[in-house]
Amino acid sequence: MPVSNLTENGRDQDQRQLQHHVNETQLIALVISGDRLAGRTLYDTHAPRVYSLAYRLSGDAEKAREFTQDTFIRAFSRLSQFRGDAAFSTWLHRIVVTVVSNARRSELRMAREVELDEAHSIEVTAPEAEPDLKECISRAVDNLSEAYRMTLIMHDIEGYTHAEIAGLLGVPEGTCKSRLSAARAQLRQELAAFKE
Amino acid sequence: MDDNRFDELIRDLPRSFNAPPEPPLDEMWTTIEDAHFNAPVPISTRRGLASRAPWLVAAAALVVGVGIGHYLPSGAKPAETAPSPSAIGENPASPTSDTSAVADVYRDQTNRYLGQAAALLISLPAKDANGRTDAAFATRATDLLVTTRLLIDSPAAAQDPRLHSLLEDLELVLVQIARLRSEKNKSDLDLIHQAVEQGDVLSRLNSAVATTQSSE
Repeated sequence: MPVSNLTENGRDQDQRQLQHHVNETQLIALVISGDRLAGRTLYDTHAPRVYSLAYRLSGDAEKAREFTQDTFIRAFSRLSQFRGDAAFSTWLHRIVVTVVSNARRSELRMAREVELDEAHSIEVTAPEAEPDLKECISRAVDNLSEAYRMTLIMHDIEGYTHAEIAGLLGVPEGTCKSRLSAARAQLRQELAAFKE
Repeated sequence: MDDNRFDELIRDLPRSFNAPPEPPLDEMWTTIEDAHFNAPVPISTRRGLASRAPWLVAAAALVVGVGIGHYLPSGAKPAETAPSPSAIGENPASPTSDTSAVADVYRDQTNRYLGQAAALLISLPAKDANGRTDAAFATRATDLLVTTRLLIDSPAAAQDPRLHSLLEDLELVLVQIARLRSEKNKSDLDLIHQAVEQGDVLSRLNSAVATTQSSE
């Protein structure tokens, strides 16, 4: 059914019918052939989790939105390369991890350059107010190395298994476990000084 | 901070660390839909043919060039040379009028045919996409093949060896594309490309163009 013929009100019903009668592989084939309704159905199935991961990793609603859009645009344009060796969700989450990692690397590089520039100027700044626990945790997580941070967020916050994280990050499962252990140890050390 | 308190903090992380808001699904979809479903054909796809099968693009360009530039009798000024229908009607026995009328019909047919052949060659993928694509190309090639053979057997082609040779080259390519329709040769696009290259079709087309240009 051409999507252009669908009314806004009828879309949900058509999507439900599509989800009911078509499995994910068939849905992917329909998206490749240019079917918008199939695209929306596939998107609705996976977008909430992709957005959630993007938000956890970026901590910014606007960035999470951009990362999610970028992920789906890339995924749709490469759907014909999806061979079905892994689950579609794994393939998709690999893309979002790559998108976010690339963006963060770029941000960190820029931040370092700004810090270097600022180091040349001597300014007297007012002492910051004592941060609360939530803020401390946030800073402690952000101070982790990218590999530790990503592993901690994906495992302890988003609930991915070690096997899933290993698959998404392209590392052995053992590496994933040791990274989580190291991340927690560093977090504990950073929070040790915090007095509630 | 003791172990229990730390474990409690870890357990609470999903609620305390970057808790995501409700995702703006519709807003994001609008951007995705525009970028993917409303986007023009990607440049990389359009460039694909040139990079993967340059001979096809060159051959198509040659076909158009040869057809338009060298095989249209009095093409530059058709209104001055072609007799009007009323003129033909006034003197039906005139051999000059008959020849011009036939030449006009032949020119139009050749022009249309060359355009269609060029379009087919340009759109022919370098790699096999799927059976439906093959069948569509095969059908178009079969239709063009009929015209090709009619033009090859026409008196005008018999009098013009360059056009005759070009039509034969095209016949060869079209036969192979038409054979994609059969199940056995469904994925033989690569073989077609190889056969055309091995048959030195491009050089022969180049040669035909060079000969035509030097004879002007």
